Amino acid sequence: MAREKIYLEEIFPSPFMQLWGIFRKTPVAMVGFVSFIFLILLAIFAPLLAPYSPVDGNLDMILLPPAWHPDGNVSYLLGTDELGRDMLSRLMYGTSLTFGLSFIVVIFSLVIGVLIGSLSALTSGIKSSFLNHFLDVVLSIPSLLLAIIIVAILGPGISNTVWAIAVVFIPQFIHITRYAVKEEFRKDYVLASRLDGASNFRILYYSVFPNIVERLMSQATLAQSAAILDIATLGFLGIGAQIPLPEWGSILANGLERFYIAPWTVYLPGLAILFAVVATNLVGEGIRHALKLRKES
Amino acid sequence: MLTFTLRRLSLFIFTMLVLTLLSFSLSFLFPGDTVINHSGQINATAEELTLVSNSYHMDKDIFSQYGAYLSHIINGDLGLSMASQSPISNEIMELLPATIELSLVALLIAMLVGIPLGFIAAINHNKTSDNVILSLAMLGYSIPVFWLGLLAILVFSITLGWLPSAGQISLLFEIEFVTGIQFIDILLSDSPYKWQAFSNASAHIILPACVIALAPATIFIRLSRAAMIEVLAASYIRAARAKGLNFSQIIFRHAIRNALIKIIRHVGLQFANLVTIAMVTEVIFSWPGIGRWLIESVYQRDYTAIQSGLLVLSCFIFIIHILTDFIYAALNPLARGNNHGS
Repeated sequence: MAREKIYLEEIFPSPFMQLWGIFRKTPVAMVGFVSFIFLILLAIFAPLLAPYSPVDGNLDMILLPPAWHPDGNVSYLLGTDELGRDMLSRLMYGTSLTFGLSFIVVIFSLVIGVLIGSLSALTSGIKSSFLNHFLDVVLSIPSLLLAIIIVAILGPGISNTVWAIAVVFIPQFIHITRYAVKEEFRKDYVLASRLDGASNFRILYYSVFPNIVERLMSQATLAQSAAILDIATLGFLGIGAQIPLPEWGSILANGLERFYIAPWTVYLPGLAILFAVVATNLVGEGIRHALKLRKES
Repeated sequence: MLTFTLRRLSLFIFTMLVLTLLSFSLSFLFPGDTVINHSGQINATAEELTLVSNSYHMDKDIFSQYGAYLSHIINGDLGLSMASQSPISNEIMELLPATIELSLVALLIAMLVGIPLGFIAAINHNKTSDNVILSLAMLGYSIPVFWLGLLAILVFSITLGWLPSAGQISLLFEIEFVTGIQFIDILLSDSPYKWQAFSNASAHIILPACVIALAPATIFIRLSRAAMIEVLAASYIRAARAKGLNFSQIIFRHAIRNALIKIIRHVGLQFANLVTIAMVTEVIFSWPGIGRWLIESVYQRDYTAIQSGLLVLSCFIFIIHILTDFIYAALNPLARGNNHGS
């Protein structure tokens, strides 16, 4: 039999692959990861998968309980709301609004935050000190309060909510990138490539970023769970997504008046939010756990 | 300690400047006329408006406009509410104490529940009880607060009928407004039904305070667990064990004290989070606080109220932040030294 590898070669996986190796062996984190991927797929393919339209109601089927209830109808698996709209379809479309938008928001804030953060890590003196204090002030204001203010300026609506939350989430990414980059720049391997004559940007791109990417990801999962909750909260308060949109928070607010006769219109969207946030947090926990183990090994 | 105080003071002044700058610029960003947004006088005649815009130095450059705005704030004039046309400072003085009361009770509950649970988890590190507590903490951290509030109302107010679902106190009790903090006002009043009122007010605060406390409590669990694990690994604990102290002596005399100091540092940061949750909870439980008022001002497009609300709430959060910093520094001499700008 031909041996392709004649020499015993020692392989050093990249830091990211080491992390994935540890992450893969944590069952709970993998459950979270699979749920996360499931939600992303659902967010993309909801229009293809959903059995009914999320906004058109069927007036013959008003307030139908879920299928496991004696009065339920199996063609409306999770029941219907007060206009005969299928809850399952609404929740599926809601995935792309609440979960999908929060994902996009976090990616957007992450990119901008990392750019500003790494640039500011390279500066020092009064500019840097001013930025630091300014960030402290902005971070001390609760994100939801700031988002409410921005929505008040722009006017209610889902797109304005998304912009508001994106802006609100940038400072925390600036903060964490700044700290991480500064910390890495003090280490010897950066000094080594500096002695080789690498410019600051080259060091940043080839040496520092691969080493801080997991920390950024861990912060991103935290930010995303907060983003899901913020979008849903603004939707619930009626200043986020507006009435016909099947955003989870606004579905919940919509079901509020019929809480006692149709409790599933309140339970189900709440459970959906809970599921999405738990999945995101499990992934984040998994990353942090793997980071800790990698540091110890 | 003096340099520490001075440094915190300069940070405080800087923060106040940035915050006022933010609320000042909001008047330009909001739709409508800047002077009206500053003052909230929507029904004013042309002459009155000229007077107002003179007092805000609107004809001069932007810096003296900002100066005029600052002097208005320092004199306690936050303008009129566009919705009710009453001075905002009066409204805030009536509403802020209710929020302070609710959030402090919630903070207390969160700390009393979260910190011991975190310690228990840390002492049983990597055992079943640790994992159970951590999983519960994660679940509690992930529950959307408005959903939790609704479920709590459904279970405890409607199905079981144990606790009232809305408001601060039953309308039957007439309590004179002194400090605004309900419990103090009740104790100060000379009503013959003082203790009935007191128990009624306590019954009203339990449900919203517990709903608010859940998420911060889970964070306290994680913080105290991490702090305790770190302390238990320290060499002075090993020294104490080598001296022959038994387990409870080590925990109660050495470990808890040192772990608590580490937690106090994070209380200020958690408070901002707690106030956000309190804002939403106030809406659900119809609590007459500043959070509900602020969200209603958003519905009513009451821009003057929104900018003052932002200013007051973030000042309040920042003051608590600095207070916890001081308490931390007073308890832990190591913290007074080298933390430039952190």
